Amino acid sequence: MAHANDDSLRDRPAILAKVQPLTTLPRKPLVLNNREFHWITEKICRIVEDPAPTWWWVCFLVSASISIFLGIGLLWLVSTGVGVWGLRPPTFWGWDIVNFVWWIGIGHAGTLISAILCLLRQKWRTAINRSAEAMTIFAVMCAGIFPLFHVGRIWLAWWLFPIPISEATWPNFHSPLEWDVFAVSTYFTVSVLFWYMGMIPDLGTLRDRAVKTWRKYFYGILAMGWRNSVRHWNNYEMAYLILAGLSTPLVLSVHTVVSFDFAAGIIPGWHTTIFPPYFVAGAIFSGFGMVLTLVLPLRTMFKLHDLITQHHIDCMCKIILATGSMVGYAYAMEFYIAWYGGNIYEGFTFINRAFGQYGWAYWIMISCNVISPQLFWFRKVRENTALVFIIMLFVNCGMWFERFVIIVTSLANDFLPSSWGYYSPSIVDIFTFFGTMGFFSTLFLLFVRFLPMLPIAEVKHVTPAADPHYHPEPDTAYAAAPAAVGAGKGGRR
Amino acid sequence: MKLKINHPAPSDRESSGPRYWRSLDELAATPAFQGWVEKEFPAGASFLEGNDRRNFLKIMAASFGLAGVGLAGCRQQTRHLLPYSKQTDRVVPGVPVFFASSMPGADESIPVIVETHDARPTKIEGNPSYKAYSGATNVHTQSSVLDLYDPDRAQYSSGANGAPISPAQVMDVLKKLGSTYAATGGEGLYFVADRSISPTRARIVRKIQARFPKAVWAEYEAVDNANPERAATAVLGRTVRPLYHFDKATRVLSLDSDFLHTEPGHLGYSRGFAQSRRIKNGTDADPEKMIRLYAVESNFSLTGANADHRLRLPTSYIWSATALLAAEILSQSGSGASQQAIDALREMGKAASANAKWIAECAKDLVAHRGKSAIVAGAQLPVEVHQLVLLLNSALGAIGSTLTLAALPERPAASTLADVAKALDAGSVKTLFILNGNPVYNASGDLGFAGKLAKFKAAKGEVIRYGYHGRKADETSQQADTFIAGLHYLESWGDGLTWDGFHVPVQPMIQPLFEGFGEIDVLAILSGDSTTDAYAYVHDTFSSLNPGKSFEEWLAIGVTGAGYAASSATVSFSGLSTLVAATAKIETPVVDETHLEVRFVPGITGDGRFANNGWLQECPDPMTKLTWDNAIFVSPKLAKQKFPELLPGGTTMSKGPLGLLSPQARKNDNDFVTGREIARIAEITVNGQTIKGPVSILPGLADYTVVIPLGYGRKVAGNVGLHVGFDAYPLTKFAGTLSCSAAGATMRLVDDTYRLANVQEHWSMEGRAIIREASVDDYKAHPEFVKAMDVEAHSPPIYGKDRNMSPQQKATDIPRGNSLYNTHPNSVPAPNVPVWNTPEGLKDFPTPQQWGMSIDLNTCLGCTACLVACQAENNIPIVGKDQVMRGREMHWIRLDRYFASGPVKSADGKDVYTAADELPEDPQVTFQSVACQHCELAPCENVCPFMATLHDDSGLNTMAYNRCVGTKYCANNCPYKVRRFNFFDWNKREIGQFYRGPLGENYYDTDASQLTQMQKNPDVSVRMRGVMEKCTYCVQRIEAAKINQRVKARDSGDTKVPDGTIQPACAQACPTESIVFGDVSDANSAVSIAKSSDRNYAVLGYLNVRPRTTYLAKIRNPNPAMPDYAAQPLSRQEYESRYGHKEPGAAEKSADKTPAGATKS
Repeated sequence: MAHANDDSLRDRPAILAKVQPLTTLPRKPLVLNNREFHWITEKICRIVEDPAPTWWWVCFLVSASISIFLGIGLLWLVSTGVGVWGLRPPTFWGWDIVNFVWWIGIGHAGTLISAILCLLRQKWRTAINRSAEAMTIFAVMCAGIFPLFHVGRIWLAWWLFPIPISEATWPNFHSPLEWDVFAVSTYFTVSVLFWYMGMIPDLGTLRDRAVKTWRKYFYGILAMGWRNSVRHWNNYEMAYLILAGLSTPLVLSVHTVVSFDFAAGIIPGWHTTIFPPYFVAGAIFSGFGMVLTLVLPLRTMFKLHDLITQHHIDCMCKIILATGSMVGYAYAMEFYIAWYGGNIYEGFTFINRAFGQYGWAYWIMISCNVISPQLFWFRKVRENTALVFIIMLFVNCGMWFERFVIIVTSLANDFLPSSWGYYSPSIVDIFTFFGTMGFFSTLFLLFVRFLPMLPIAEVKHVTPAADPHYHPEPDTAYAAAPAAVGAGKGGRR
Repeated sequence: MKLKINHPAPSDRESSGPRYWRSLDELAATPAFQGWVEKEFPAGASFLEGNDRRNFLKIMAASFGLAGVGLAGCRQQTRHLLPYSKQTDRVVPGVPVFFASSMPGADESIPVIVETHDARPTKIEGNPSYKAYSGATNVHTQSSVLDLYDPDRAQYSSGANGAPISPAQVMDVLKKLGSTYAATGGEGLYFVADRSISPTRARIVRKIQARFPKAVWAEYEAVDNANPERAATAVLGRTVRPLYHFDKATRVLSLDSDFLHTEPGHLGYSRGFAQSRRIKNGTDADPEKMIRLYAVESNFSLTGANADHRLRLPTSYIWSATALLAAEILSQSGSGASQQAIDALREMGKAASANAKWIAECAKDLVAHRGKSAIVAGAQLPVEVHQLVLLLNSALGAIGSTLTLAALPERPAASTLADVAKALDAGSVKTLFILNGNPVYNASGDLGFAGKLAKFKAAKGEVIRYGYHGRKADETSQQADTFIAGLHYLESWGDGLTWDGFHVPVQPMIQPLFEGFGEIDVLAILSGDSTTDAYAYVHDTFSSLNPGKSFEEWLAIGVTGAGYAASSATVSFSGLSTLVAATAKIETPVVDETHLEVRFVPGITGDGRFANNGWLQECPDPMTKLTWDNAIFVSPKLAKQKFPELLPGGTTMSKGPLGLLSPQARKNDNDFVTGREIARIAEITVNGQTIKGPVSILPGLADYTVVIPLGYGRKVAGNVGLHVGFDAYPLTKFAGTLSCSAAGATMRLVDDTYRLANVQEHWSMEGRAIIREASVDDYKAHPEFVKAMDVEAHSPPIYGKDRNMSPQQKATDIPRGNSLYNTHPNSVPAPNVPVWNTPEGLKDFPTPQQWGMSIDLNTCLGCTACLVACQAENNIPIVGKDQVMRGREMHWIRLDRYFASGPVKSADGKDVYTAADELPEDPQVTFQSVACQHCELAPCENVCPFMATLHDDSGLNTMAYNRCVGTKYCANNCPYKVRRFNFFDWNKREIGQFYRGPLGENYYDTDASQLTQMQKNPDVSVRMRGVMEKCTYCVQRIEAAKINQRVKARDSGDTKVPDGTIQPACAQACPTESIVFGDVSDANSAVSIAKSSDRNYAVLGYLNVRPRTTYLAKIRNPNPAMPDYAAQPLSRQEYESRYGHKEPGAAEKSADKTPAGATKS
């Protein structure tokens, strides 16, 4: 917990005894203003229980309208043919797969936050893990649309699953696309389980607080008979840990497998062994980018500054700085290997990426992904929420361009110059992508309205009050924090 | 289906008379009974009438339910087939029947074999019995089968108001015409016909001329190729055609001629040329034995493309160049020509004196190979050039060796179109009979034929028109008072002569699809016959030409005779001084940046006659790679000097600072923005006429010559041919024939742009070793040069048991195996067929043959016949201009064309070519046909999640269309980019309706589709949307041959298909036999022998995909004495300078060392 106790004093380095500092360096509080349990419950449940604010309705209607583009785009696509997209040989994959990889990448942060950070006991994750997981699920749903609909005959896409069919043939297990099917569907399933299971205690809270009948039933069914018993808690914690353990390799595997789509190909610019770690780093990068993009406005609109603190933002900015630098390193390394490998086709592809017909996309990618996160070295930048939000938009944009650069520039100018061509999207491509954004925000807004946006129980865990050894000390070092009152008063509901 | 018997409704008599009924239903249907029911059961009456509301709802509910349940099985409409109840004679269902015939032309008939399925002609192939072509065909022959099923062809004859008239009425019109004019001897009767080589037609025309002695018979071809004959006839005093024998030649000069591509006889000439060009191995390479081609030309023709030395000169300068050449040859060869004449020739050749060294060295080489050299002049050049060339060929000793003068049968006397135009003006024409051709569209501009015809019609003149396309699809037919619908040559009787005079039949193999008349029928009636019997006419002609020979055998084999006899006439030099005197006054016009020359060339649609053929419209021009359009082609120099707007970035299509695509150039207006060539529009004025067209820059043109293909911009054409390109005929002039060039043109850019559909946007090979070339001397010195190129030559040995083998060798020598995966070797039969694993099974099904292909780039001329042949064979749809602009053309074979330029210095240190990153003015060009390479370790196969593309036992990379769901991953992963995707239902929707999806018209439901479907090859599936497709090596032909062989083998167990039995459509059509297909596991097969050449290499061999299609490197034969001599081909120079070993010869040395170095490491 945040507070030093005697044990930790005993393990102090000897030097501290000699210099005798005035105080131990305290950990940053994860909930500001020593908010008590009841306040937390009220704060989070009220978001769901109070009437929807006007801004929510405006956003919802706009998002829902935008998501209609997705429906129309897909309807036109399926009824007419894949030709309504801008795909042109030799670029047989364009915005469709770019969008797929982009959305999948975004879907990374949720599980990373809930699983890996959980195992690593990063307690600051609690404020953001619920919304990040929701984001993951919706992002994976958006992602799934593209590979599903990019096929020429979608009505036969179920052949991807290894089920006995009339042709008595199996799908090709050599194909990275087939691996994608398993990787993405597993990831989606586990993410949904994880998200839902983590929500059960909070759903119980909502159920118990519900006044209207439909709410009682709605949350009652979702809460699956949660009674807050110790046995329940015990099972819950074990299951949570198991799922965290299960999800951890998935965080790495999904984007690794997605990167195999390219790395297993022989096209120069695709055929590189650096892709799996590079894609995972990029995915975490873009995932955190999207988390911040979503959380920062919500924090403002719902006045969650005590729960999502500057410390949280700071942590995420640092992760973005780290992963952004990793991605930058990968970009540089790709160039180095292209030169070092001495393969003329590979060498051409990379120089062409930066200086060829798609050079503009490359430089957008570099400035958004490599340069803009470097601002996070400065504390002032990390503390400027508006600036952080703008940089996050850059990061999201840059990561989209990264996928565009990898997929399109490699295909457009590959081995034989005779077949080179210039790919540009059609209006249907653009509107379908736009539509997925609407679809995503619609789902996310619904989530915000109907489900606990922050994990009530988990946030309470990280308050000082949850520590059985916690005794409020008047001479606490938190200059800003007034003396904590009523330890255990709120209690767990 | 349930059998349902419908009784006829009872008649009135039955109702009123005694009542018998056969069933209760019938009784119930009588009005009396119904009336009774209505009275008795008012509520139930509606049951009898049909469904009431409740019933309707019930049924609808049930059917919706069933539809939901049954939707999983809902695939396509059920259609019923009726089997033959009795076997038709000679028709085995599924087995095609082949007929010998020939495609008629103005100067030659091309012998063909037509494949018919259930009496539908589906594919045309060359007739291998005609040895001179040996089965070769060109794009026009290949695509002519589609014309048979052209939905826009005339489906009936029609009268003045366009109303259909019956065949009997047509006969009446013709007979009346005959009887009217027979009385006056044909006064006022004018014929305008296309030219024809048919002896039968000639016979009937003579009969007509006898019947109407005062009638005028004029013949007109917009693209007329008879000037060599006219010249030879003028010199020798008898009808003679120069026939070249390039197989006997070692040095050839082409003067603005395209004898390898567009001129008649080109199939045989290509074959002969390839024969003299072909080299087996480096040890056989000999610059003396290998043919060396010089070309002087204004356009960049395929002949020029295949030349070893090419001089760019305006067509107007060709006369000067020829005169200069004549002076050189006559003085060098000691022909005995007078010095005076030689001086006069030199004087005439002054305009070409800037290129005197080139011409002199060329002349020297030609003279040095006396008896083995020849000069070919372009068929459209003026007669004087041909006369001089004939003398020069005689001086070179070509006549009798590389050139024979064939005695042609006399053609019926014919006037020209100019005579008819004059007569129209003079008002002496009463009836104009236009037979074939399309003079309203393609008459030379200065004749003003269309206007004169309109005036003639206004003055109540009668126009009778016989043609294949009717009023709605043909400019001339539109003007007809009586239109007589013609027949396709696959529906009619006729005959013809090949280029060298063999007699070939035209026989019908399908009943005419519509009511029409054969050409012979119409002419026969005009000649006075009361009934028509084209068969009898052809039979009679045959008997008179080939006494004692069997007509049936002729029809079966498709060719007979001995060819034209060589004329005994000799060329005498006495005519030289007269010729010189007569031509001394020919002035060479000024051609510079303000006085441009326009050169007219036949487009891919010929003179416009094939404009409604989708295969041809979508067939990329071999040089410009344009489809669906013509353009005004200008040289890079002209663009730079005069029209910098065309090159805003300095050099269009150029490369940027790092030798890469310049992003700046990409942005330019004239460049390929978003994959489309956006061309500026220009106005060209010449001969007082102005036309507009898009401008495209084509490297390799004479600097101030603009080239315009003819045959586009049809005003009245079918669905396909309309709104394609622009019409350049208004600019043309008539000088005996349509003049192929016009000097003194001015051009200005209009502020407008136009989008061109170009299938190859990038001209440069980027220094990559894709097409590997060498000069013959270098090849001789380094026979293994192909092995020393590309990444594989630089790769260190890697892992595996063949680690010391170079990737190059692995790529070409060991087809399979040595993989981490346990791929089964060739000798093991497929494991999933149990019968194959038994000893008996092994006997019945021994080791499958292993298919492979070799493409000899040295003899590939770039004619594109393979592309159209493949399209015809494999039901490849056309996609239209819009989709081609999106790069979605479906051709399974594409013909890559690369320009190469590089710094070349002449012997005196002068720059001949400038830097490599400039838009080249004088590039070398190479062609490479690329189809699926059938990789052994195919990268497309392992990435398909649906297992739709797989390897078969005989090494084919097969495509299971039914399994394909269309992830397009295979196409992405194909390094050769040969896979084609059905982005839309190309067959189900009309071009232009692709984007309308279900809202568009279903083409299958239209009448037009009924017609075009008949062309489809039933052995090849027609692919729906969302499915990937690609070259299959014509697997249907392979399977057919295997089945045949198994039937033949019976108990002998000899199921191996003999070599040469299987020919994929591309190999079959190839005039130069540069595509060889066969069993690569048999060391004696033609393909194995081809692949054993030291020039054999795999494109991108370093990828270790081990393609079954490999290429043989191209060898050029340059003359070191020439001013534009480059020791190595330019593409090779670029490769060596960018990626090769820096010191000369190092690549070869390291290639020798590789095994040694490998063992060390």
